[in-house]
Amino acid sequence: MSVMIDFRNVWKQYQKPAWALSDVSFSIAAGEMCFITGPSGSGKSTILRLVTRECAPNDGQILVGGTEIRRIPGPKIYLLRRAMGVVFQDFRLLHERRVFDNVAVPLRVLGLPEKDIKRKVFIALRMVGLHHRIWNTPSELSYGEQQRVAIARAVVNNPRLLLADEPTGNLDPDLASEIMSLFREINRQGTTVVICTHDRDIVRKFAGRVLPLREGRLREREPA
Amino acid sequence: MRKWSNGRAFRDAFGHLARAKTRHAVSFAVLVLSFLMAGLFLSLSNNLRQQARVLSRDLAVIIYFKDGATAEERTAVEQRVRLSPLVASVQTVAPEEAAERFVREFPDLRDILDNLGRNPLPASIEATLADQAAAEAPVIRLMDELRALPGVEDLQFNRRWADRVRALGRLSDAVGLFIGGLLILVSIAVVSGAVRLNILGRREEIDILHLVGATDGYIRSPFLLEGLILGAAGGTAAAALVSLSAHLFPLYLGQSLGALQDLIGFAPLTAAQFAGLIAGGGLAGLLGSLAALGRVFRS
Repeated sequence: MSVMIDFRNVWKQYQKPAWALSDVSFSIAAGEMCFITGPSGSGKSTILRLVTRECAPNDGQILVGGTEIRRIPGPKIYLLRRAMGVVFQDFRLLHERRVFDNVAVPLRVLGLPEKDIKRKVFIALRMVGLHHRIWNTPSELSYGEQQRVAIARAVVNNPRLLLADEPTGNLDPDLASEIMSLFREINRQGTTVVICTHDRDIVRKFAGRVLPLREGRLREREPA
Repeated sequence: MRKWSNGRAFRDAFGHLARAKTRHAVSFAVLVLSFLMAGLFLSLSNNLRQQARVLSRDLAVIIYFKDGATAEERTAVEQRVRLSPLVASVQTVAPEEAAERFVREFPDLRDILDNLGRNPLPASIEATLADQAAAEAPVIRLMDELRALPGVEDLQFNRRWADRVRALGRLSDAVGLFIGGLLILVSIAVVSGAVRLNILGRREEIDILHLVGATDGYIRSPFLLEGLILGAAGGTAAAALVSLSAHLFPLYLGQSLGALQDLIGFAPLTAAQFAGLIAGGGLAGLLGSLAALGRVFRS
């Protein structure tokens, strides 16, 4: 099985003297579902920010889909990001726009014809069970529904890799399970899913590989 | 290019403009004021250049006689003028004729003549030059020679007036460029501020766009268009106001200037100048947007 994400001795420091990540190495296979766990400040979000190249490591190599992403020139980073979807704890939806327009953002960026956009948005919303809410604004939806809209936006473009940063952090346990089931379903369809979470109950409930982080260091790998 | 052609950038740009009306209204007003100032000075110098052309059309040397000049002295001067190869035609103007002309050309000043009780205008000879583009030196030599003849009070060469008016036109251009330039710099800063606030207000959307793989051009284009549209609209409004001034000024304020009306007036802008103001406005808006984008994206 090919490797989707490969961290090789990665060091990351935002401000001296603390290291956000210290000599972190791991790899995630294509099609795998993986949890990165750890308390707040352990470096989970830093890993996602490094994968999306919102920031660069101080040392080490990061390969995504076999490409050393530090070698991608700045103006070409958009190509890397088009191959992945990202879900955040705070959903990051555009509240003055309708659900349809929120989900359509990645497709509009690609310049797809409006007909294709409508079809793909409808499919993505049906997958998350929100096709009946297509003309609502996010503010008219519950938190669980808003997170599902964010997931639809992340997968509408059929990315090879889905990254989620504390996707259930703002949700009650029932809604959290619902969202995790959705990630499981997306993973079954072949997408590599990487979820950062501090919620150990969720990790226990949903089988998957676990990468535990503490103070920027990767501890022993734990079975799910 | 497809993203531009499907009108997304334009829709977004107009959306930005519609959302922050007050902010953009202030930017628009500053742009209009800046380009109006530049345009008015341009119009003023257009008028001065026009006047200079009128003055240069009939290039002539005018010889004024002393009050007590005898008929023989006048005839001698006239003969000397006629003998010069520089001169094409000669017209003698009696004091009465000079007074009639004065009243005709400056009706507002008729009272001054009437109150004097006598005609102060001297007899004169108007010598039209054969070659309108003749070098000035031979004409000056002829004038010096004529000035030395008995009965001659003073001489005037109207090319000098034309040159002075032309110089005024150039001065007006320079002043317009300076004041307009300063104001345009201010307007670039104001547009930049407005666009910057817009960008900051849409920070979250920009972050999302970056994360879903939007190119910098995709993200920046609506903000660039926003400045361009605002600037071009400001330039158009300024050009229209200058044209309106050129039409209305003679009807209202112009008459109160009396004899100076010809010099202090606004001539309509040429098509190139009109287009220049619009393009200049667009450029100022675009520069404002670029400055804002540079600052925000750097930070």
